[in-house]
Amino acid sequence: MNALEEFRQSVGPHGPVAVVGGRTRWHLGGSIDPQARLITAPQGIEALDPSEMTVSLGAGTPLDMLDEALAEHGQEVALAGPPGATVGGALAVGHDSLRRRRIGSARDVLLQANYVDAQGELIKAGGPTVKNVTGYDLCRLLVGSLGTLGFFGSVILRTRPRPEITMWLSGPTKPECFLTEIYRPATILWDGKQTAVCLEGYQEDVEKQAQKLHALGLETSSDLCPMVLPPHRQRLNGGPLKNGTVADVGSSVLYGPQPAEAPETTPGVQRVVDRLRHQFDPEGRLNPGRNPQRMST
Amino acid sequence: MNLPLGLDPDELAVCVSCGLCLPHCPTYRVSLDERYSPRGRINLMRAVEEGTLTMDQEWFDSLDTCIQCLGCETACPSGVKYGSLISGTKTAMAQQRTPGHKLRAGLWVLKHPRLLVWGSRAMAVVQRLGLLSRNSSLWPKKIPLRRPKSTATATGEVVLFTGCVMDTWMPEVHRAAEKVLQASGTAVMLSGTATGCCGALHEHAGLTDQAQQRAQRVMDSLPGEHPILVDAAGCGAALKNYGHLLGTEQAQEFAERVFDVQEWLAKHPERLAKIPLKETQRPPVIVQDPCHLRHAQQCHEAVRVVLAPVAELVELDDEGLCCGAGGSFSLVHPELAQGVRERKMEAIARAGNHEVVSANPGCALHLGAAGAKVRHPLELLAEAIVDPQEPGT
Amino acid sequence: MPDQLLAELREALGPKSVSFGGAAQLLYSRDSSVFPGGQPGPVCFPETTEQVVACVQAAVNHNRSFVPRGAGTGLAGGAIPCDDPVMIVTTRMNKILEVDKQKQFAWVEPGVINLDLSRYLLGTGLHFAPDPSSQQSCTIGGNVANNSGGPHCLAYGVTSAHILAVEVVLPDASVAVFGDPEGPAGGYDLRGAFVGGEGTLGVATRVAVRLTPDPPAVRTMLLDYQDVGTAADTVSAIIGAGIVPAAIEMMDQKVIEVVEKFIKVGYPQDAAAVLIVEVDGLIDGVEHEVERITEIALACGTRTVRVAADEEERARIWKGRKNAFGAIAQVKPGYYLHDTVIPRTKLTEVINKVYETAERYDLLVMNVFHAGDGNLHPLLIFDPQEEGIMDRVLAAGEEIVQTSLDAGGVLSGEHGIGLEKRRFMDRLFSENDLDAQAKLRHTFDPDERANPHKVLPGGSSCAEINHMDKPPEGTWV
Repeated sequence: MNALEEFRQSVGPHGPVAVVGGRTRWHLGGSIDPQARLITAPQGIEALDPSEMTVSLGAGTPLDMLDEALAEHGQEVALAGPPGATVGGALAVGHDSLRRRRIGSARDVLLQANYVDAQGELIKAGGPTVKNVTGYDLCRLLVGSLGTLGFFGSVILRTRPRPEITMWLSGPTKPECFLTEIYRPATILWDGKQTAVCLEGYQEDVEKQAQKLHALGLETSSDLCPMVLPPHRQRLNGGPLKNGTVADVGSSVLYGPQPAEAPETTPGVQRVVDRLRHQFDPEGRLNPGRNPQRMST
Repeated sequence: MNLPLGLDPDELAVCVSCGLCLPHCPTYRVSLDERYSPRGRINLMRAVEEGTLTMDQEWFDSLDTCIQCLGCETACPSGVKYGSLISGTKTAMAQQRTPGHKLRAGLWVLKHPRLLVWGSRAMAVVQRLGLLSRNSSLWPKKIPLRRPKSTATATGEVVLFTGCVMDTWMPEVHRAAEKVLQASGTAVMLSGTATGCCGALHEHAGLTDQAQQRAQRVMDSLPGEHPILVDAAGCGAALKNYGHLLGTEQAQEFAERVFDVQEWLAKHPERLAKIPLKETQRPPVIVQDPCHLRHAQQCHEAVRVVLAPVAELVELDDEGLCCGAGGSFSLVHPELAQGVRERKMEAIARAGNHEVVSANPGCALHLGAAGAKVRHPLELLAEAIVDPQEPGT
Repeated sequence: MPDQLLAELREALGPKSVSFGGAAQLLYSRDSSVFPGGQPGPVCFPETTEQVVACVQAAVNHNRSFVPRGAGTGLAGGAIPCDDPVMIVTTRMNKILEVDKQKQFAWVEPGVINLDLSRYLLGTGLHFAPDPSSQQSCTIGGNVANNSGGPHCLAYGVTSAHILAVEVVLPDASVAVFGDPEGPAGGYDLRGAFVGGEGTLGVATRVAVRLTPDPPAVRTMLLDYQDVGTAADTVSAIIGAGIVPAAIEMMDQKVIEVVEKFIKVGYPQDAAAVLIVEVDGLIDGVEHEVERITEIALACGTRTVRVAADEEERARIWKGRKNAFGAIAQVKPGYYLHDTVIPRTKLTEVINKVYETAERYDLLVMNVFHAGDGNLHPLLIFDPQEEGIMDRVLAAGEEIVQTSLDAGGVLSGEHGIGLEKRRFMDRLFSENDLDAQAKLRHTFDPDERANPHKVLPGGSSCAEINHMDKPPEGTWV
């Protein structure tokens, strides 16, 4: 019996059940009903084809392990998470990498998902190719759904080339001008006093862009992010920053020390969300207690 | 089998309904309704030929509103001969029902040059009395009372085709053409009243018989080998189409003698170079391509070649979309024509509202009535020619 | 009562914005796919979200379905009306509402033409990245519905990656906004689920699109080959070396021949295949990639590598590609194409099988496609007048689909499923898989009121279409 079938049986057709990844963002979207059985998804890379730029793997595979395997071929995926996070967890949370402006959104990474639904059936969504509009886009619906619509068993992800070099610069210049002055910077952070910009790509390009940034008052710091990001995310709105927060100006996310309220769901969207949950998991047995609408971003 | 419209089924089959013509159709751009699009009109032609649709009021409305600018034909990747399809359809339509009395009266006058001259003088007087609008698409802001004297000669190397309305309402364009050609060292003779109207508007209205009669008369009055130069894009397109209209070898040969004045000059750079030009500033000028030049004759680039030495050319950003004048279209469908014209006026505004040049009288009148300052490219060129009397040449 | 339905619609939209008559019914019965037999009800031209709500509400009141429609350039029959639906034509909702250059997004109405948006943005340093070959005619609303592609999707991603938010009139006539143009929206990605819904999930009435910075440098290369296999290997080698060009397009010998005949762009006449490779970005990186690609290509056995010297040459290279379908249409009046995607590494194998299939059915096949992401567009060229040709064309088409699926491919890369490919869906998905997709559909549209009988297989009343007595045609890809 293969790992996927084993996983399907462990979900089963009845009773509350929750899937555990690296528990790195276990608090997001509400706590799991203690009644729920805890299970884990299959682990391990099944196929990695650099010239296809896809990788097929168990959803329980740690992100770090995947990154290491891809690095050997000079590739990466546009997913991010704290150390220990799993691929399935990163997809279920759906947060973009800090480098989104350069490498794209987490919502565009998932090509195919083999997931187990609330009836305990194994479902295939999407397909293995890098381009595909065959049928409804279940993959995008599943990313960021916190496992409430189905549990990822194995997935096929889109990979991309790693940049030749990465360079962080920082300085006291306000961040707004960097959105337009620089061609596709990977990240622009602002903590109220300092701006940190991440450049990546070919060495010569990065160095020339860095010179432009030097002229604007930034200095090269290192190849690592010079700022420490507080743990909780929320949508960045206008106005001055509070102490201890960092704004990801490029992607409109604010990192703060305290958990933030989720934005209010409009009645129109709520009606659709209710139908969604009813369609996919009428009994609410998958990850009970979780609700993506309660995530702050 | 006799099909209702008598169109060539093979020609009709070429369209695969891809819709790439849609944005190039001025009436679709304004209506955003398939019924006023080339793809829609072709499907309506097919439906009548197949017998699935009758030629009812809605059907006529869709086909009547076609300006016949042929923007779609230029855009079509499959090479659909829309011009041929629509003119065949218009002919069938004209046989089904007689055109409106206003249009018929107008077209009748065009065939009678003397009447046109006297009628025009009468209109000029009425206009000066304030009883006739100065902002119409149909006649100039100031209808001339008499024509300036021509400097053309009885014999020459080329014939300047003078046509009908333009000769009475915009004679200054012909004078400019004469001046430019003579300055290039070309002796010009005029086609004159014996030649008369080219029949373009008759063909446009589907009155093929009358158009053919006009064509025959024009050809008979202009025998020989001389190139026939035309300064009105609409007339030029019609003359060049005589081969297709009459289907005779004689007509084909005649059509091959026809050139737009600008086209001919661009083809003879040695003559163009002879024109003595004043050393003045090159003013910015917006080039408006008449459809009859851009799509029908496909020689609109010549206007740029001829004007480049005397003006800074400003291009419009609307890919040569028709201005809506389109022969008799503005008479019959003023509302749609106005919508189309508004788009053109907006494009002119975006290009900086400079003076506009247009090589077709219909466009010039139509845009002039909306407030644009429009002249013929040859007028601009003529103005820049060094006067032989002036010292220092 | 159709009279009452008409009266209600005319009351809400005004008499000039609702058509019901022979010509309108005929013209709105089909899209670019030339499936016969669609049957529209009243054809509505709303200009506001409120008017779209009124159209949907009228459909609900009279228990009718409705079909949203843009410019009607789809190739899979997605906009063909079944069951006398209220046609909601969004072409008159064509305003660009807001452009935020700082945050790099724009709110537009669904009827804005794709290329018009790009033209409008000229000079801002930003553009809307998806560039389907029909971009001069197709609307943003249609792009959203079909999750449209285009040559430059290789590096930039398909439409979904460029849609930040949509305002949707749902099939129960309520209005909701999914997504957020100014930052990551929390909660379920209903925006992502809506994009690519082919009009079966509701009507998009406002769309927030992502604007992409114009690349400072662009280089276009023309590579030519003595056999298709070497061209395909070069594609894999380039990608395998860690370079993702903005576009990689392939044309085979027959296409080159007709393109040269009609358009004269200067492709090598004796080549078995050419690749158009475009790279963009900052100048040093671009030059570096051109160098690398040249090395890789020559090592793979590419005969010549030509880099466009200027904008004029670049435009000429692309002109041949963009007008290829028109040129092909001039060879024979009919053609049938599929839109399957296969793993890039299987290109040689699958294309050779496509040639074999065509030969076995005594048909002419031409290939011009998005090689970079393995998105095939094999065109079977034929004369519809020839007796018995349809059976052969359809059988060959079906075989090509199966070949692609056997190679690990999918049915559609950018044209969508529509009516045309529903019958193949069960070859790719199990019953359970399809049920899961139906759940997504029912989340938005529990009554299946929006654009019925599309995407998923199952009971259709569009009888003429079910019989498929005429293959669909199209003009571009």
